[in-house]
Amino acid sequence: MTKHKTKLIAAACAGAMLLAGCGKKDETLKLFSWSEYVPQAVIDKFTEETGIKVSVENYSSNEEMLAKLLAGGGAYDLIQPSEYTVQAMIKEDLLQELDQAKIPNLKNLAPEFRNMPFDPNNKFSVPWLAGFVGVVYNAEVVPGPVVGYKDVFTDEHAGRIVILDDARETVSWGLATAGIPINNVSDENLATITPLLKDWLGKVKVFDSDSPKTAMSNGDTDIGIVWSGEGALLFAENPKFQWVMPVEGVHMFVDNLAIPKTSQNKDKAEAFINFILRPDISKMISDEFPYYNPNLEARALLSPEQLNNPASYPPGFDVTSAQLFTDLGEQASKVDELITTLKAQ
Amino acid sequence: MAVAAAAAALAAGPSPQRRAGLGPWFAVTPMLGWLALFVIVPTLMLLVISFCERDALGRIVYSFTLENYIRAFDWKWLKILGISVWYAFLTTAICLVLGYPVAYFIGRSSERVRGLLIMLVMIPFWTSFLIRTYAWISILSQEGLLNALLMTLNITSAPIGFLYTPFAVILGLVYNFLPFMILPIYTSVEKLDGSLIEAAYDLGARPARVFSKVVLPLTQPGIAAGILLVFVPAIAMFAITNLMGGGANPTIGEVIQNQFTRARNQPFGAALGVLLLAIFIFSLWLSSKFRRSEQE
Repeated sequence: MTKHKTKLIAAACAGAMLLAGCGKKDETLKLFSWSEYVPQAVIDKFTEETGIKVSVENYSSNEEMLAKLLAGGGAYDLIQPSEYTVQAMIKEDLLQELDQAKIPNLKNLAPEFRNMPFDPNNKFSVPWLAGFVGVVYNAEVVPGPVVGYKDVFTDEHAGRIVILDDARETVSWGLATAGIPINNVSDENLATITPLLKDWLGKVKVFDSDSPKTAMSNGDTDIGIVWSGEGALLFAENPKFQWVMPVEGVHMFVDNLAIPKTSQNKDKAEAFINFILRPDISKMISDEFPYYNPNLEARALLSPEQLNNPASYPPGFDVTSAQLFTDLGEQASKVDELITTLKAQ
Repeated sequence: MAVAAAAAALAAGPSPQRRAGLGPWFAVTPMLGWLALFVIVPTLMLLVISFCERDALGRIVYSFTLENYIRAFDWKWLKILGISVWYAFLTTAICLVLGYPVAYFIGRSSERVRGLLIMLVMIPFWTSFLIRTYAWISILSQEGLLNALLMTLNITSAPIGFLYTPFAVILGLVYNFLPFMILPIYTSVEKLDGSLIEAAYDLGARPARVFSKVVLPLTQPGIAAGILLVFVPAIAMFAITNLMGGGANPTIGEVIQNQFTRARNQPFGAALGVLLLAIFIFSLWLSSKFRRSEQE
């Protein structure tokens, strides 16, 4: 009896060790993505079709993602960096090169998204969604015409403005208005636009990057500068919310999927990338997040309402004319300091 | 954690001086381990990082510098800190004025009613404070419930912008922290000896005098604990101030949060954090000194 018991315990121990051993080679795909950007239905469908489990963690800024990744907290297999972060990560050798043979659905991407300056030929990253930063206004209250940033920060709109709570964005609008390229964030250029930004920020009622549409649809603001996806949702809610691509120059952001150097699950990560490039899956993403879909085949599946939303797909706009952010490096801290101090004035 | 422990010690009042044997030390080992792991180690990390530099991607570079502290003592950051302290002070003062009568009433009511009332104070805590803050947003917004009510009752003709104002920030803070003022004061009131109050009346004291000479001194430990529990977290609060204030008046909590994320400057954020910690320790020391001089 005693002997039997010992055997049993030994077997249990062996089993436990085996399990622990299995735990080492992780079978789950660890996705580290923006919050509110990956539909749960897409993840469920991926698991259903491939049997690969996906665990998701969220972040709310590129810098937060970088900080967590570099701290080595979780071994993430897929991340969702924006263009300037992809650029910085390639430079610092933090991304794995993609095996394009495993991602045949790359062919579905529009040609202008196949070879972007931050990652030529998609060596390290594949676009997820793109978007613009533009002006949205309530046409029932604001008579217009509204053509650009300078029409937002007028005395009539003082106290009725919402803008993104994003120092880099705010500075880029100032630079564009002053006729300076938006990536030339030198100390001198910051000094040049400081009086302009000081005037602007004094008139802003709400700073919100997560859901700027709330202040608009609640009636607390009449005009604002927001992400195009937010503008699209507002327009879909009520066409009185008009969308304007700023005449000073349009900033486009491109969020991508990429595989960090530390990932042990490259095959599965590539399978996921190929999966979301499938037109029917990419359409599911567009249905929930009405940004600009770089997937041409998926766009063919969208409804006329979706395609005619001026914030999602600005009519007559050539996306290659839009400007992209490049990485700021240590200057990011200066930009943040300037905006924080101007807000606290 | 540390603040809560200190506040609990304050609320409990003076402890009898008695030496403990070895046994109790074993009992507190988990607590000490917890404190070491989640209070002392992180604080030391914060201290070390605050003297470091960082690279272009925001990674910490371990080379000694005082630059973060020199930068932190700039007028622009001190001004933001000052505004945060002012908000916290207002919140504490309003919580005290609103919370004291409530706590007194609860503490002096019958045992059955008391349990029910304390329960009512606690119920909001069953929901995340973020959800409760979002609820306030839908109440206060221009097309929100409050404006709809005011306009239906013909009290106002046009919607009032309650939200995204300093008023909204203070409202959000007071709403969130009020129970932290009520509960410790309630604990003091509950222990209040009614015969002392009766004795004061018998000796001819008027209500105002009974309150200032008997009730107030006896509930003072609860007040001190309440002030600490409201004031300290209110300074560093960033979520409520950001959501209700529209982010237009950054508080020190928001600034620190930004350093660890968008600004890619963890060492500077750490330096600001250490300064904030120094203020907390100073206020703890001040309140304990204040209490000691009261007892003498």
